[in-house]
Parts: sequence; C-alpha cells; structure tokens
Amino acid sequence: MAESCEALGTVPEHERILQEIESTDTACVGPTLRSVYDDQPNAHKKFMEKLDACIRNHDKEIEKMCNFHHQGFVDAITELLKVRADAEKLKVTDTNRRFQDAGKEVIIQTEDIIRCRIQQRNITTVVEKLQLCLPVLEMYSKLKEQMSMKRYYSALKTMEQLENVYFPRVSQYRFCQLMMETLPKLREDMMNYCMSDLTYGLESIRKHSDKIGEAAMKQAQQQKSFSVALQKQNNMRFGKNMHVNNDRILEEKSDVIPKHALEEEAENDEEVLTVQDLVDFSPVYRCLHIYSALGDEETFENYYRKQRKKQARLVLQPQSSVHETVDGYRRYFTQIVGFFVVEDHILHVTQGLVTRVYTEELWNMALSKIIAVLRAHSSYCTDPDLVLELKNLIVIFADTLQGYGFPVNRLFDLLFEIRDQYNETLLKKWAGIFRDIFEEDNYSPIPIGSEEEYKVVISRFPFQDPDLEKQSFPKKFPMSQSVPLIYIQVKEFIYASLKFSESLHRSSTEIDDMLRKSTNLLLTRILSSCLLNLIRKPHIGLTELVQIIINTTHLEQACKYLEDFITNITNISQETVHTTRLYGLSTFKDARHAAEGEIYTKLNQKIDEFVQLADYDWTMAESDGRASGYLMDLINFLRSIFQVFTHLPGKVAQTACMSACQHLSTSLMQMLLDSELKQISMGAVQQFNLDVIQCELFASSEPVPGFQGDTLQLAFIDLRQLLDLFMVWDWSTYLADYGQPASKYLRVNPHAALTLLEKMKDTSKKNNIFAQFRKNDRDRQKLIETVVRQLRGLVTGMSQHT
Amino acid sequence: MAKKTYDLLFKLLLIGDSGVGKTCVLFRFSDDAFNTTFISTIGIDFKIKTVELQGKKIKLQIWDTAGQERFHTITTSYYRGAMGIMLVYDITNGKSFENISKWLRNIDEHANEDVERMLLGNKCDMDDKRVVPKGKGEQIAREHGIRFFETSAKANINIEKAFLTLAEDILRKTPVKEPNSENVDISSGGGVTGWKSKCC
Repeated sequence: MAESCEALGTVPEHERILQEIESTDTACVGPTLRSVYDDQPNAHKKFMEKLDACIRNHDKEIEKMCNFHHQGFVDAITELLKVRADAEKLKVTDTNRRFQDAGKEVIIQTEDIIRCRIQQRNITTVVEKLQLCLPVLEMYSKLKEQMSMKRYYSALKTMEQLENVYFPRVSQYRFCQLMMETLPKLREDMMNYCMSDLTYGLESIRKHSDKIGEAAMKQAQQQKSFSVALQKQNNMRFGKNMHVNNDRILEEKSDVIPKHALEEEAENDEEVLTVQDLVDFSPVYRCLHIYSALGDEETFENYYRKQRKKQARLVLQPQSSVHETVDGYRRYFTQIVGFFVVEDHILHVTQGLVTRVYTEELWNMALSKIIAVLRAHSSYCTDPDLVLELKNLIVIFADTLQGYGFPVNRLFDLLFEIRDQYNETLLKKWAGIFRDIFEEDNYSPIPIGSEEEYKVVISRFPFQDPDLEKQSFPKKFPMSQSVPLIYIQVKEFIYASLKFSESLHRSSTEIDDMLRKSTNLLLTRILSSCLLNLIRKPHIGLTELVQIIINTTHLEQACKYLEDFITNITNISQETVHTTRLYGLSTFKDARHAAEGEIYTKLNQKIDEFVQLADYDWTMAESDGRASGYLMDLINFLRSIFQVFTHLPGKVAQTACMSACQHLSTSLMQMLLDSELKQISMGAVQQFNLDVIQCELFASSEPVPGFQGDTLQLAFIDLRQLLDLFMVWDWSTYLADYGQPASKYLRVNPHAALTLLEKMKDTSKKNNIFAQFRKNDRDRQKLIETVVRQLRGLVTGMSQHT
Repeated sequence: MAKKTYDLLFKLLLIGDSGVGKTCVLFRFSDDAFNTTFISTIGIDFKIKTVELQGKKIKLQIWDTAGQERFHTITTSYYRGAMGIMLVYDITNGKSFENISKWLRNIDEHANEDVERMLLGNKCDMDDKRVVPKGKGEQIAREHGIRFFETSAKANINIEKAFLTLAEDILRKTPVKEPNSENVDISSGGGVTGWKSKCC
C-alpha cells in the first residue's frame, strides 16, 4: 500500500503525514494531524482530497484480492461436502450415542459438584463475613463487661476502637447500627456514674477532712521540735507525693501501704499518715481521666471546683456552740486544714484540675470568713484559759497552712486582737480573784508562831524589817493575809499574760512593754476598783479600814519588786530604758486616801449616833453638876478607839482625831443653834457647858500622840468663847472689842450670839407676869433688849459689808 | 435634833469568848445581814436600833466587845453602864461554854447588881458539829436564874426574839412615868435619868 501511495505522490509533506498515520498508533494521531493545520491555510482541503484518493486505491486492492481468492474458497467448500459424506460412513453417530449415554451420569455428577462448590463458596463467604463481624461482637461484649466492672477508662478505649476501627468494616449490617446507637447512651451513663462516684468521693473526702487536718496540724506541731534531718525526710515524702503518676493512681488502693513507707515510719518512730493513707482519691482521678478521654475536661473541672467551693462554705460555717469549748474550735480548724491539704494534694498530683491561682482565691475567701468567725465567736469567750488554748490552736493552724504555702499574715494580725481580748478576760478573772481574797481576809496582822511560818510568809511576799526579824516568837507581820496573796496573784497574772505571747514571734522588748501595760491595767483599773469597792462597802468596819491602810502601804513598797520580776522574765537588760513603768504606786496611794477618808466618815457617823441620843432638858432651872450621859459615853468610845488602834499610822490617827473633834464641835454648835429649839434656860447653858468641858478635857489628854500644844483643843474654841460670853454675861466687852484682833471673843459670830440670846429672851418672856414685881428681872429684860438691838446692828452691818 | 426622838434608851452589852459570833449576832439584829468571814473585833463597837415595845419607842444601844483577853481593860469599863448583858457561847466550841462561868463572874464584879442577863448558845444551825447539848445550856441558865436561847446568826434563828425579850425584861423593871411628871420641877427628870440615879 505504501508503494501505491508513492505512485500517486503529489505533495511530499502530505505523503509523509499519511505514512505516519498508517504507521503510528492511534494515540499519536493528534500531534500528526495538528501539523496539517499548522501548515499552509488551504492544507486541510488538499489533505482531504489526497486522503480520499488514497482510500480509493485501497478499495481497488481489496477487490483484486477477493477476485483472486474466489476459486480457492469454492474448492474448499466442495471438499468439505465430501468429508461430510465420508463422516457418515465412519459411524460417528453410534459412537456419539454411546458417548452421550455414558456422559449422562457424568453430567449428573457434575451438577452435584457444581451445587457443592456453590455451597462451599457461600460457606466461605459467610465465614469471611463472620470473621469481620466476630471481632466487633467480641469488642462489644468486652465493652459491656468493662462497664459492668466499672472499668470506665478501659471501656472508653474499647468504645473508641469500636467506633474507629471495627464498626466501619461492618457498618452495612443492622446489628452494627443498633450497637452504634447505644454508644452515646453508654457514654452518658459513664459520665453520670463518674459524677455520682465523684460526688460520693468528694463527700468521703469531706468526711475525712478532719482526720487529714488533725494529722497535718499534729505533724506541724511536732515538726517544731523535730530535727532538720526529719524535716528533710518529710520533704522527701512530700516530693514523692508530687511524682505520683496516673497509672499508679488508678491501681492504687487505700489499704495497701508500700513497704518502704512502713520502714520510714518505723525509723521515725512516729505514725505519720500521708493524705493518701487517710483518703481514697481514686474517684477523683478516675473521673478526671474519663472526662479527659471524653474531651470534656472543662466540664469536670468546673463541676469539681463548684462542689469543692460548696464544701468549703460548709467547712467554714462553724457550729453555733463552737466558742464554748476548745474542742469546738479544734474541730473547726481541723476541717479547714483538711480541706486545704486535699486541695494542695490535688494541685500537685493533677494537671490543671486546680491551679495555684484557684487555690489562693479559695484560701483568701476562706481566710476572710475564718477571721470573721473567730472575731465573732472569740468575743463570747469569758474564760482566759479557753482564749489561751484558742490562741495556741490558731498558731498551730497558721503554721500548718503556712507549711503548705498559704499566706497567713492576717491570722497573726487577728491574734493581736485576740491578745487584747485575752488580757480583758484575764483582768475580769483577776477581778474575781481579788474580790475573793478581800472577802476571805480577816483584816488582822498575820500571826507567826515559828521560824518555819515566818519563812513561808517571807518566801511569798518581799517583806523586810530587821526589827521584826529579831523579835522572838510568837510575833506578827503588820500586814494581813491578803497582802501576800495579792502579791502572788499579780505575779500569776503576769505569767498568764506572758503565756499568750509564746509562739507569736515577738521580741523580748515588745513582750516586756506588753507585760508592763497589762500589769498597769491590772493595778490601776482592777485592783484599784476592787480596793475602792471594798472600802466603800456599807458594813465595813474601822478594823478593816485601818488594816487596809497598813496593807496598801506594804503593797506599794512591793511594786519595785514586781518591776524586777517582769525584767527577769523577759531577760531585758537592766540598763534598758523602759518605755512603760508600773503605775501601781498611785493605785495604793489613792486606795489609802480613800480608806482614810472612810475612817473619818465612819467615826463621824458614830458621833452622830451618840448625838442623836442627846436628851437635854432645855428649860432646866439648874444643872445637876455632871456632864450628860450620852456625851460621856461618846468621849469614852473615842478614847477606846484611839487606844486600840495603835497600829494606825501616826498622821492618819492625828487626822482622824482632829476630824472627830471638829465634827463633834460642829454638831454641838448646831444643836445649840437649832431653829426648832425655841427656848434655852441659863441652867441648860450651864449643863451644856459641862459637856463642852469634857470635850476639852479629852482634847487636852493627848488621845493620840503627836499633837503640838493645844492644837486639838482649837476644835472647841468657838464653842468655848460663845459659852464664856453667855456664862460671864460679858456683853459690854464683846460689843466694845468687836472687830479687834485682840478681842477676847474674837471667834464669836454675832449671828450665833444673836440667835442664842433670842432663845434666852423668849425664856424671860414667860416670866413677864411677875416682872412688875421684880426690879432685877425688869432690868435684866431691858439689858437683853438693848443687847439684842446692838447685835442686830452688827449682823446687819456684816450683811451690808459682805 | 434638839428634841428627843425616842422614849427610852436601853444600853445592852454582848460578851463572850472570841469567835463565838457576838458581832454576827449584833449584825443580824441591826442590819439583818451576815458576813461569813470572821473579822476579830478590836476594842469596842456599838450599833443603835430603835424598836417599839408596849407603845414606847425604845432605842437599844448595843455594845459589841472584843473577846480577846488583851482588850479586857477596855471592855470591862462598859459593864457599869449596861442595863442588859448577853453572854454568848458557841455550841460547836466546848471551851467557849466552859468559860461562861468566868464571864458570869466578870458581870458580878463589874456590872450593876440589878443588870438583866441572858445566855445565848450561837451557831445552832451547825448541829452536825455540835459539842454542847442544848440541855447543858438550859441547865446553867436555870442555875443562875437567867433566860436562855439557842441562836444562829447565819440562819437568823432566835436573834430578834432574844433582843426583844431582853428589852422587855428591862422595860418591866423601868419606873413608870407619873402623869404629871412633866409639870414638876425635879432635880432628876425622865425615866432614863431616874435610872441613871439608880446606877449611881
């Protein structure tokens, strides 16, 4: 054919193309044909013409070939017909029949074989299908078992495998779809159960919090006295806790204690329980991991924090009676410590379930609540021992939580408030103690019968008196029993006040100042108040008052020993300048002054009682020559008093005596000038004068040593001059000398003279009926009238001058 | 206060061993109070209480004496002026009862012959510690022809009764005022003064 084309060749390029088409595969025709269009603009048309010519040539070739082979074909057919006739001669039909008869059984057998092979294939298919399905069923069964055994993490893994690996292989089967539909429910059940388990777990943790807290506080308390080596061991234990991994936690059980832990405990010779020994944390860990695997970690975290905040509020809410006993406070603190120890543990063993920021926020909230609770409840405490134990608990509480990294400065600030309250409760307690001491005192000098008794008193109270020491037994200390008792109790107060400062990390100087301030409060407020209340008791007697004066003198002298006592306790250098000094001195001075004043008051009251017994006959014509009975009793009483109270300090005795005399004088004067007394006879004046003479005799008899000259008699000088004026009837001298410094009757008040004279004038009036018969009486009346007028003039003049 | 606020004045005296409760007896009567602490009386003290008997206002001036021997001189000086004397012993203290005879001799020696006397057995509320049977007290009172009471200052038993009985006995011996005594100018006036005359 190639040759035929060459014979027709008109365009060389087209010929080449046609040759390529005939020799190249169909796939490569494209580029070849493209070249046709790329050539000249009319190349396509010419090419088509050439292509048609080539086709016609090929057709002619085919016709020649068919004509050439026609005879051969006919010959072949003829020969074949001959073979046909010959075949029948070969008896093929019979053979064929015999073959077919024999083949029938074979055919039957073959059909059986075909049926069997179909069955086998089906079986194989079924087996293959089942082999795909069985793992799914096994996994699902495993999942169910894991769920029933509460092994949720494993179940979760199984579920994941089912979803990602096994279900896709058999997803076309219905049972598989049914299984897939149950998975969300299983997940939900798993989550719900984990939450329920967590809730129970958290409740269990809460119930055991007080044990955790108790162990932690006990450990913190013991740790103060433990060696550094022991602290290192504890740190190692703490470090061990920090490295607990997830797998071990899942497998861990609370009743299994590692052997090395037991050995460590044996070494410490103490049973130090870790938080894990006390509480089963597995619900928390399981739940955390389940939620992490489910990709819902945030939900779990929020739920956990929410639940723990609720528990925190429960823990921080104290029982209403917490302030009544120290155990109430202890339970309160151990619960709180336990709560935060658990949080600290969770912080260290989990990844982000709780954060440092979260725990600090929680702690700050808790701390505010704790301080408010303590401030409120401690204000109800009236027992200083309880306040002291509370302070110790707070210190241990603060130290424990500080050890876990929680800031506790505000608790120590609160402790200073509680210290002030502690001192207040101490002051109240000691007020009761002082009252009891004063109540029990017999206000008599302490009798000493032997050297041993003497030493006992000396050991309790710093009394120094060489004279007393030399005396032989029996002898007496000047002070009464209350003095050494009070001295001892002041020291006990100082010890009690000091107790609160232990463990508060204050300097010795601060403690010293605080002790002095507290002691000053005790002396200036409490003891002073007790003494004054004692002195002002309605029924207190002179015996007690006199002894109190002596007692306070000795207590005052003992104050310097109290200062030394405080200095020794705090070990402050003697040269240190104290910013605070004891002010007890003023307390005892004030008490002594009050007692002295009370003595004067009591004495005057006794005098008043005697004066009320006065039974003068104011119109008697003539005195019987003896002093009145009531006054003699009074004088004797005063003499007895000053005779028996020889131990009263000299100046006090003198002042008391002077006060009594002045009071007596004033009372007598008032009696004489009483406006209700209308008439006085000269006889009554004479009787009254006898009584005043007795007073003067008493004053001059030196009932109390130490008076100078006539000092005491001056108390009665006013009465003396008034009575002399009337007894002597020396009016001309009085009126003439009135206002003169050298007047004999300088101290006679014109008003008093007038008042008394008018009472005597009234007496004379009664005798008017006889006046006309006696010249002397008439003259006397005229004189009285004259003097009355002149005295009125003096009184009026005095008024104008004033 | 120039005028008398009472009709009669009776002076009474309490004597007895130290610690038998003289001051407590007086305190119960005058102030109706009791002090548990024993405070020893020093020297002499007194209280005044006004009572009304048979329509008369009577002031009782009651002297409380120290029982200790060292105050003997002071206390005996008050015997002379007493119209009634109470001898007090402690039923729980046999010694104080034995000393009653000594106190009776002191009365004979220092007091007016016609002074009214009364025996008191104090602290009768402490029966569990009793040492002196009541019969003993009654016997010695009978022998001396004087009244007898067991008392308790703490439990307030027989205190007021004792004082009022003694006052009534004194009143019975006091001269009755004459109806016209106020109008008569006599050297000694009033019952009390008359009494004093007798004391002289």
